[in-house]
Amino acid sequence: MRKLLRRISYLLHRRRIDRELAEEMSAHREMMAEDRRTAFGSALRLREDSHAAWGWVWLERLWQDFNYGRRTIARHPGFALIAVLSLAVGIGANCAVFSMADTLLLRPLPVPHPSDVVTLGSRDVTGLGAAAGLNLLEASYPDYKDIRDRNTSFAGVVAYGITRLGFAARPDALPQLHTGSEVTGNFFDVMGVKPELGRTFRPEEDQVPGRDAVVILSHDLWEQEFGGDRSAVGREVRINGIPFTVIGVMPEGFTGVDHWVSSSFYVPMMMRPRLDGDSRDVLNSRDLRFFTLKGRLKPGVPITRARAELAALGKGLEQAYPATYKNQSFDVRTEVDSQIKRAPPITAFLGMLIVLAAAVLLVACANVAGLLTSRAPARAREMALRVAIGAGRMRLTGQLLTESLLLALAGGVAGVGLGYLGVLLFRQITYPSDLPLLLTFDLNQRALLFSLGVAMLSVFLFGLIPAIRTSRTDLTTALKAGGAAVPGRRREWGRSVLVSGQVAVSLVLLTTSMFLYLGFRESLARGPGFRIDHLLLMSFDPSASHYKAAQDHEFYKQLVERSRSLPGVRSVALASFVPMSVEIDSFSIVPEGYRLPPGQDGVSVMANRVNESYFETAGIPLVRGRGFLKTDTENSPRVAVINETLAAHYWPGQDPIGKRFRLEGWVEIVGIAKTTKYLSTLEPPADFLYVPYRQNPRGHMTLMVESAGEPAALTAPLREVVRGLDANLPIYDVRTMEEFYQARAVQVYQVILRAVAAMGLMGMALALAGLYGLMAYAVSARTREIGVRMAIGANRGEVLRMVLRQGFVLALSGMGVGLVLSAGVARVLRSTFPGDSPLAAYLLVTPAVLAVTMLAAYLPARRASHVDPMTALRDE
Amino acid sequence: MPQGSLALLVLRVLESGPLHGYAIAQRIRQLSGEVLEAEEGSLYPALQRMLVEGWVTAAWGVSETNRRVRFYTLTRAGQKQVKREIEQYEQVNAAIRSILYA
Repeated sequence: MRKLLRRISYLLHRRRIDRELAEEMSAHREMMAEDRRTAFGSALRLREDSHAAWGWVWLERLWQDFNYGRRTIARHPGFALIAVLSLAVGIGANCAVFSMADTLLLRPLPVPHPSDVVTLGSRDVTGLGAAAGLNLLEASYPDYKDIRDRNTSFAGVVAYGITRLGFAARPDALPQLHTGSEVTGNFFDVMGVKPELGRTFRPEEDQVPGRDAVVILSHDLWEQEFGGDRSAVGREVRINGIPFTVIGVMPEGFTGVDHWVSSSFYVPMMMRPRLDGDSRDVLNSRDLRFFTLKGRLKPGVPITRARAELAALGKGLEQAYPATYKNQSFDVRTEVDSQIKRAPPITAFLGMLIVLAAAVLLVACANVAGLLTSRAPARAREMALRVAIGAGRMRLTGQLLTESLLLALAGGVAGVGLGYLGVLLFRQITYPSDLPLLLTFDLNQRALLFSLGVAMLSVFLFGLIPAIRTSRTDLTTALKAGGAAVPGRRREWGRSVLVSGQVAVSLVLLTTSMFLYLGFRESLARGPGFRIDHLLLMSFDPSASHYKAAQDHEFYKQLVERSRSLPGVRSVALASFVPMSVEIDSFSIVPEGYRLPPGQDGVSVMANRVNESYFETAGIPLVRGRGFLKTDTENSPRVAVINETLAAHYWPGQDPIGKRFRLEGWVEIVGIAKTTKYLSTLEPPADFLYVPYRQNPRGHMTLMVESAGEPAALTAPLREVVRGLDANLPIYDVRTMEEFYQARAVQVYQVILRAVAAMGLMGMALALAGLYGLMAYAVSARTREIGVRMAIGANRGEVLRMVLRQGFVLALSGMGVGLVLSAGVARVLRSTFPGDSPLAAYLLVTPAVLAVTMLAAYLPARRASHVDPMTALRDE
Repeated sequence: MPQGSLALLVLRVLESGPLHGYAIAQRIRQLSGEVLEAEEGSLYPALQRMLVEGWVTAAWGVSETNRRVRFYTLTRAGQKQVKREIEQYEQVNAAIRSILYA
């Protein structure tokens, strides 16, 4: 330790110490001379050896290399600019994609030691909900108690549920809808989060159902409702009409433990029965899997042990309650793992972007590697000279790598700037809602660190081989040859492969983006199959105001009737699901006569609970049978409308009208609706089911109003109608269908397209620069040869053709490989993006790429054909 | 001079008191009957290493011929090191002897 301190103090005072050493050694020499003794060796060398004893030589060398590299780069600003720009593009693309992946998948939970926190629970392996692309782990409250009490792997296990609740800071205020978390009493202790103000729950506050009405606010809600007043703790607020006492405020930045949904407040789990108005006994029913469980692993316990333990526990439960736990598979997942499984389409999409960004980086690195290689002959003399005066190969390689490192760092800085532009682009992806999702794209510390890592990686991709090559210069040839050494055949072959590869990769990028663009444009042109214009949407959740089911029904009935009589209203409908929203409803049905796969209880189908005017208001045509009628009530036989896809799926070649399926009882099919887009404009046709709202009631519904004029103009009169019915009922997510569709269906894909197209264009630009560079270099290296050819009679046309042929071969071989590769990519993409044949994309992209590559080859060729034989020959 | 023994010799001659570099070299030559020679090329790197290890400290002073020179003084750690090195030397020496004259 003290030794290290001494070495560091040397580093700080080394000028003085070196001077002293020199003085001491010269005194030594003088004394030797007086004694008539002869000294041997160079005084400088001896001093350097003494100086090396302190062990800082490597650092000094690095500093030397760094300064030397800086000067070398500054001497060739053109080269440096192209190299840095190339790297900036490559690093920037990766930085932007990382930022997106960070927001969508990777960002850790806002709790201490987030990597110890895992998600646990069970899922239905027969795939209920799989149709909607969901794969979540869920648990019932009894599951939670069993896991909490019987595990040995976790330091603590918590349960929570996220619900929409009406919150009013004062008893007389109009309640606002907020996202709240119902959490078990140990939630904050296990997560390790301390309140900014007040306290968290006491253990006894989560023991007796409905007794302890206490609430902890999020920082944001506290700021918004109480203006950051510290006396908010102890005050009374109302949640769904029930008085609650504020006991604490969470710190800023703690948004709850869900990846997407930010919680405005937290109440004890035991308050749930009083808050949700659900008649079912949620806290004691094993089949009501409404909660998410998170556990904090004990130090040193691997996730595999926890998984094995939970699987065994699940087996025990299945034996005890076979009916409830049939097809349930228990699992433990890390946060990233559960995000990946939660939304496979997002993961697939990110995977595509990551591959594209990596391809851009490769093209950029190939470009810089090519540039460096073409400088090798020019630097051969310098290298040879340095070897001649005693520099080691390792030292030269280190020097060249330091130069590459400088380029990469500069490229990294510029790349982060470019990455930020990408982040700005991604910010256009929004989910318009009053309860916004945690979907903010940022250039955070993790992204910066990642970009630095990419920059370092790129040094090895583009710098290592040229550095080794250059430092291995053959001494005698290089010194003898005088000017630029003749490049070896092998070296040029390597560069040709690089350039062909660049053309290939950028062709893949461009055809892919063109393919996506065409598919997207086509599906936009076809339209989603439902009305977008002249529709106003408005959502309600009367249960958040503590309505009973019967009151819900009365409210909606009045709402529809009064809205219909407003001037400027054409039609009014109710729906539980708005197309393109993420809040999908789904039912498990058993079609009559259909043989279910073994072990499966039903097939899961996306569904919408609608009133009788829905098909008219939403503009969805019925192709056969009838829609719903006023007479389809609680007391009449149960009916349903299915879409064409569902009909073809389970009743192929038959008339499904009059057929039945089981949904807690028999339901008769009375009509067939045209298939529309439900979750995204690019989805393949999906099964869909409509049921009358009256026969399948639900609290949370959306009112859809078709207007004669501007739909937004109806907002004020409709609010007036609602106030007339219930002044305390929160209205939320008021928006026009056009807005919503634009944000959900158009904007998202435009951003994706722009990102992919930008990467394609950048890759192409890099490839062109690479091709041009190679050709220009080849021409300059062959100037003498061309001069000779022209002196003995070749004309300009022949020289032009000769050089062009070389470029043509490179471009064509690259394009050949690129076309094969993009055919593979297209096949993969077509599974998610049902577009036309990719032929159109090829026909559009290939000639364009061919034209620009030929231009890149033509410019150097023209220069070659203008070589003056006299100057060329005299030059050498 | 055998590898590694220079440090031992330098430390040993410093045991009798502080000396400057040239004096250390002279002392080694005299004591060894003009057989061993501590050349400056190895002496000064060795002294620097000892400074790093903390076996000696250096201070500026004036030599007998009125030159500004640096005097090296053995530290406590240096004294311990002399003992260690002598022990080590004895061991190695004994081992070599037992092979040579077996």
